[in-house]
Amino acid sequence: MAAVALKNQLNAHIASMFAAGFLDKQFQELQMLQDDGSSPGFVSEVVGLFIDDAEKITGLIAGLLDQPVVDFDKVDALVHQLKGSSASVGAQRVKLSCEQFHSYYEAKNRDGCVMALALLRNEFYDSRSKFQTMFQLEQQIEACS
Amino acid sequence: MDRRRIRVLLVEDEEIHRVVARAVLRAAGVEVEEAENGAEAVRRVRESGAGGGSGAYNLIFTDKQMPVMDGHEATRQIRAMGVATPIVAVSSDSLPPDVQAFITAGANDFTPKPLTKEKLGHILAKFGLA
Repeated sequence: MAAVALKNQLNAHIASMFAAGFLDKQFQELQMLQDDGSSPGFVSEVVGLFIDDAEKITGLIAGLLDQPVVDFDKVDALVHQLKGSSASVGAQRVKLSCEQFHSYYEAKNRDGCVMALALLRNEFYDSRSKFQTMFQLEQQIEACS
Repeated sequence: MDRRRIRVLLVEDEEIHRVVARAVLRAAGVEVEEAENGAEAVRRVRESGAGGGSGAYNLIFTDKQMPVMDGHEATRQIRAMGVATPIVAVSSDSLPPDVQAFITAGANDFTPKPLTKEKLGHILAKFGLA
């Protein structure tokens, strides 16, 4: 009974992530790959890689924006990398934040980039929190079975 | 074609993209080998007995931005060896100039990241590998 309740809670949580735009259909693709025979931890592996990438990349961008002369080409490359990483896991809000970042580094606007990074980080932190709740529920379900 | 005999070379430097693409390819039943940059890809193609024909791989997927050697240069060098294996660029850069740059280098097709079951199905069908 506890497992059923937890599964319902997990399904509701994932549904709310889709409804709020945290996830897009790429996440469903990952779930299908896991269900079709990839290793049981496939989705969590990909999400873990995304979280590691995002933490590293946002830190690097912050460091670049802190320099007396900002290397906007490097900022571009890093945002591009994070956009790809978020697209691979289906982290839609993070991906969209990366796209919104583009106009600021194209314009070589440091203040704009600082603001865009803050927004990007907020979206990432929210997404990370949602993913962590998802995996906590999965672990609780596994513990019940 | 029996997909168990289809050998694909996946050229990608970032682990998250390799993990996802590998899963998609394996789910489709193809054999996957991997290279983490363009130079390693060129070496693998050369060592696979390529030259003057189709080589040992049935299909090559390559990213664009990679350390050591990027996807454009790797594509050029593979074509310069006389390898006719279909090369499909898989990249987040999907503006027309990005696509055209790959085609000019010798790629056969382009698909935006991430690789999905649906995209792979179209590509395998396009190159007679389905």
